[in-house]
Amino acid sequence: MGLMNGVDEALIKKIPGLPVIMTTAEWAINAGRSNSIWTLTFGLRCCAMEMMATGAPKYDWARFGLEVPSASPRRADMMIVAGTVTKKMAPVIIRLYEQMAEPKYVIAMGACAISGGPFIYDSYSVIKGADKIIPVDIYIPGCPPRPEALLDGIIKLQKKIMKQKFRINKDHK
Amino acid sequence: MNFTEVLEKLKAKNEVLESKDEMGVLNVWVSAKTIKNVITFLKNDMQFDQLSFVTAVDLMINNHIEMVYRLFSYETKTEIVIKVKLDRVRPEIETISDIFSTANWHERETSEMFGVKFINHPDPNRLLLPDGVDMPLRKDFKSDDMIPLPKV
Repeated sequence: MGLMNGVDEALIKKIPGLPVIMTTAEWAINAGRSNSIWTLTFGLRCCAMEMMATGAPKYDWARFGLEVPSASPRRADMMIVAGTVTKKMAPVIIRLYEQMAEPKYVIAMGACAISGGPFIYDSYSVIKGADKIIPVDIYIPGCPPRPEALLDGIIKLQKKIMKQKFRINKDHK
Repeated sequence: MNFTEVLEKLKAKNEVLESKDEMGVLNVWVSAKTIKNVITFLKNDMQFDQLSFVTAVDLMINNHIEMVYRLFSYETKTEIVIKVKLDRVRPEIETISDIFSTANWHERETSEMFGVKFINHPDPNRLLLPDGVDMPLRKDFKSDDMIPLPKV
């Protein structure tokens, strides 16, 4: 599965004679989350073409666990904002984001989703960056980014998920 | 049908204010009152069977907004552009969506982009723009969240 690749040796303690791995719950849950990211099937503009190419067999993001392009935001873990966010589309994006279940992650793909890109000046209809309306985890530059860049962004998001800490309030009993 | 033939046929039946050859396409200016007659004439008597688009240009000179109608004929393979100068403060023109139904959405777009009012339009609602953006294609359009292009 490749799940254990690159795992810190200190986390894996094999008990002799038994197929048991002792590790923290944090690591196990994070590993589960980062290796089965379901994306929201959702494209705004030309970046969506590159996103489709990344999902297609040549680049095949299923290698990294993005097996299911979820057709419903309620089943999705990650939203790729692939394209220009217009004023008319903004309420729809916010609604899709709010429909997604926690934990949820957002990748801003391409120049338009980062800052407005070519539409930053003299534009009456474009929102200057997806981060103006929803929180964004990873920014991928490019116009549009190549599939390799999107895969790099996805791997960076996986690393970010692996670093998540579960906050426990110690005063609470 | 060539250039002069079209113009002569048009001039015989309609009032033509001005005409010009722009890069091989005949441009004809008519008055706002006659636009419906001109388009009907072009469609029925001169085989212009396709309305390519309807749009407008904000000229700013002499306070004019110019309506642009481009027609094409599949029968004779000719093109013609009909232009109408309107008052910029209160641009009003009769709809042609009952002649060419293509004009319905084109006129709705022109209406929200330039503020042109189409009289007797069957569905005079917004088509593309979100609420709060009015007449963005006018040259003097200002918006709070619009960043002007820096001068180099």
